[in-house]
Amino acid sequence: MFKDLDPILHSQLRLAVMSLLISVKEAEFTFLKEKTNSTAGNLSVQIQKLKEAGYIEVIKQFKDNYPQTTCKITPVGIKAFEQYVKDLQAYLTQK
Amino acid sequence: MEQEKKLTEQESLHLITMMINKAKESYHDTGIGAVMWGAVIAVCSLVRLSEVQFAYKLPFDIYLLTLVAIIPQILISIREKKERKVKSYDDPYLDYIWLGFGITIFLLIHISNNIFGEWGSWANEYKSITGKQAPFRFGEYVNPLFLMLYGMPTFITGAACKFKPMLWGGIFCWLCCIVAVYTSIKIDLLLTAASAILAWLVPGVIMEKEYRLYKKEQAQLNV
Repeated sequence: MFKDLDPILHSQLRLAVMSLLISVKEAEFTFLKEKTNSTAGNLSVQIQKLKEAGYIEVIKQFKDNYPQTTCKITPVGIKAFEQYVKDLQAYLTQK
Repeated sequence: MEQEKKLTEQESLHLITMMINKAKESYHDTGIGAVMWGAVIAVCSLVRLSEVQFAYKLPFDIYLLTLVAIIPQILISIREKKERKVKSYDDPYLDYIWLGFGITIFLLIHISNNIFGEWGSWANEYKSITGKQAPFRFGEYVNPLFLMLYGMPTFITGAACKFKPMLWGGIFCWLCCIVAVYTSIKIDLLLTAASAILAWLVPGVIMEKEYRLYKKEQAQLNV
């Protein structure tokens, strides 16, 4: 049924992360965790998958002596997200 | 949130919409800067009005308070940037608009002070020759110029952030600008104080209230 949909994006948490990142310039890990209501471990794994696909950029730095992870959507990620939404809309109109 | 839950088309679209809305709702300005500038400009205008009305002069120019206010503004901006967990695409543009506004205001002060100096000597000469006050009073036209400028960044910020109190505040500044062209300096100063209150102080208080509410909700969610 969903064979043409991007498998990287067709997952609840990864899609939630991408939907948040498409609306902002960049967001901290804690912001993504708070908005998706997920656990840190689970979110880290999904962020890593999105990073490996080239959909997001992950910046690790120190802020006030604490590690800080910031995520940013890449042009490849934007394109993939737009395609995913187009495919979804195509499915809905076909029905 | 589970990572591998099977989604239907509707569920996917619903999730996208929900997350985009959540991201939009996450921009919360503390409003402290707006409150401070609204109060500073209102106080400066009202003190200047009292100087004109009761014919006295403070030992310093009350508008120097605006220069002093730059220091807390820098500290507020640094703190807000540090606390912000998310950056929107509009952030840098709005920062540049307000920075440009600040520079323009100080340039306008510089220009009007120079014109005032030139005009003052001409007005004195006119009075010594004719024995009458000069018919053109430059001071009557300074406040509308400032009100015109106050309206611009306020209106843009209100429109960009979809924050109606600021949008209407910007429009109010422009309406006051039109009125101030035809009114005396005393009324101009009152209109400037009213504009500062409606364009910055009141929206700032509303923003601050919303920010506190947001923080409270976040604290409850994290318990």
